[in-house]
Amino acid sequence: MKKQGKAIAMISGGLDSTLALAMVRAQGVEVKAINFYTGFCITETQRRKGGRQDGTMPQNEALRAAADLEIEIEYIDISGQQYLDMVLNPKYGYGANANPCVDCRIFMMKKAKEVMEREGADFIFTGEVLGQRPKSQRRDTLWAIEKESGLKGRLVRPLSAKLLPPSIPEQEGILDRARLGDISGRGRTRQIAMAGELGLADWPQPAGGCCFLTDESFSRKFFDILGQREAAGEPRTIDRDDVVLMTTGRHFRISPTVKLIVGRTEVENGTLETYAGATRARLAARSHTGPVALVEGVATWEERLLAARILARYGKGKDQPTVEIEWRDPDGGVETLVVEPERDEARVEQLRI
Amino acid sequence: MAATTPLPEPVQVLDTSGLLCPIPIVRTAAAVKGLADGDVLLVIATDAGIATDMPMWCKAMRHEHLATFKDGARWKSYLRKRPRPPRGLAEQKGSA
Repeated sequence: MKKQGKAIAMISGGLDSTLALAMVRAQGVEVKAINFYTGFCITETQRRKGGRQDGTMPQNEALRAAADLEIEIEYIDISGQQYLDMVLNPKYGYGANANPCVDCRIFMMKKAKEVMEREGADFIFTGEVLGQRPKSQRRDTLWAIEKESGLKGRLVRPLSAKLLPPSIPEQEGILDRARLGDISGRGRTRQIAMAGELGLADWPQPAGGCCFLTDESFSRKFFDILGQREAAGEPRTIDRDDVVLMTTGRHFRISPTVKLIVGRTEVENGTLETYAGATRARLAARSHTGPVALVEGVATWEERLLAARILARYGKGKDQPTVEIEWRDPDGGVETLVVEPERDEARVEQLRI
Repeated sequence: MAATTPLPEPVQVLDTSGLLCPIPIVRTAAAVKGLADGDVLLVIATDAGIATDMPMWCKAMRHEHLATFKDGARWKSYLRKRPRPPRGLAEQKGSA
């Protein structure tokens, strides 16, 4: 006689977490899914820009997976400063980019544990697969995540369960170990076969990749801005505004303490407008139509001219001898710079972040 | 959106204008918690993703999705709160 249990599923909506969801539910366990909002979501940014470049609107995959299986889902907003502080100082370090995956998992597991206790659930499970990711899904890291989050024995990875020590729900008879998986490594052949057996038709490619911290171009801007803060003698930190700006526009490093951001589309120009003021100067061509730009940091006269020249090359005046650029300081002071659009492409590329 | 039968009068209107995925859904979930079974909620959004998110969320949560459509520059989404079936029942149904 199997004991009826309840579980909390951490899902991204990718193939692995969807399979884990289906596997656990097939054992008669009541499942509640949770998904975390970190503030680094690629889908969110694509939607801010009005959809993908091909005109389609990205789906929320966690929501899709929960809907397909009719499983209750709760979003947990962890996008506050506490999460940013973890991203800035990860105990287990970064992956290939600005991704502190191990620390992030621990952060999320601790929140999941609170949900588990609140809901009176027996365990938490994820779609993690042993050896699938070089760092965060190694045997020793999976164990460290489990231990540090205080979930010892109550964190189940159904896809790889047979390769891991028996968990408490397996020992208590809530889960039948014989019906859990023994998958490891990077291949997806077995998962795709299982999806067919379980009648799952739809999953995103690639699985669950919705985090900017794993993105190479985002990561460059992330470390660059920390360098700028240090160069300016400011605390080595970032806030929510920085995150939005890092995903908006073309970025140029004018000097160690001065950065230029130029809008690429009307939507981006609108976003930049809303961040002008407080600490950022607003630039736009006055003599021609063109993008909006922001400058962070206190610029010297030469740096102002360079920023204005770069901005001028992205507007309708790019082939004109001169363009008038209006420079509005954060304190409201306005001046007009008459500049020749920067024509040295190599130089511009060199400044690009 | 030539609706012949008018949509039911909402007991609450939630404006999520300016917010993006998944925050409109997070706010919707919080609002629905405060409603009684059978109550209708109108969610206003500017994130066009609401058109896919809201029907999916309603399906996952088993609330009744009434309509989601564009009204000028904003989206309107109507749903009716439904009680969740008793614990375990629905989960058993889908298992082999």
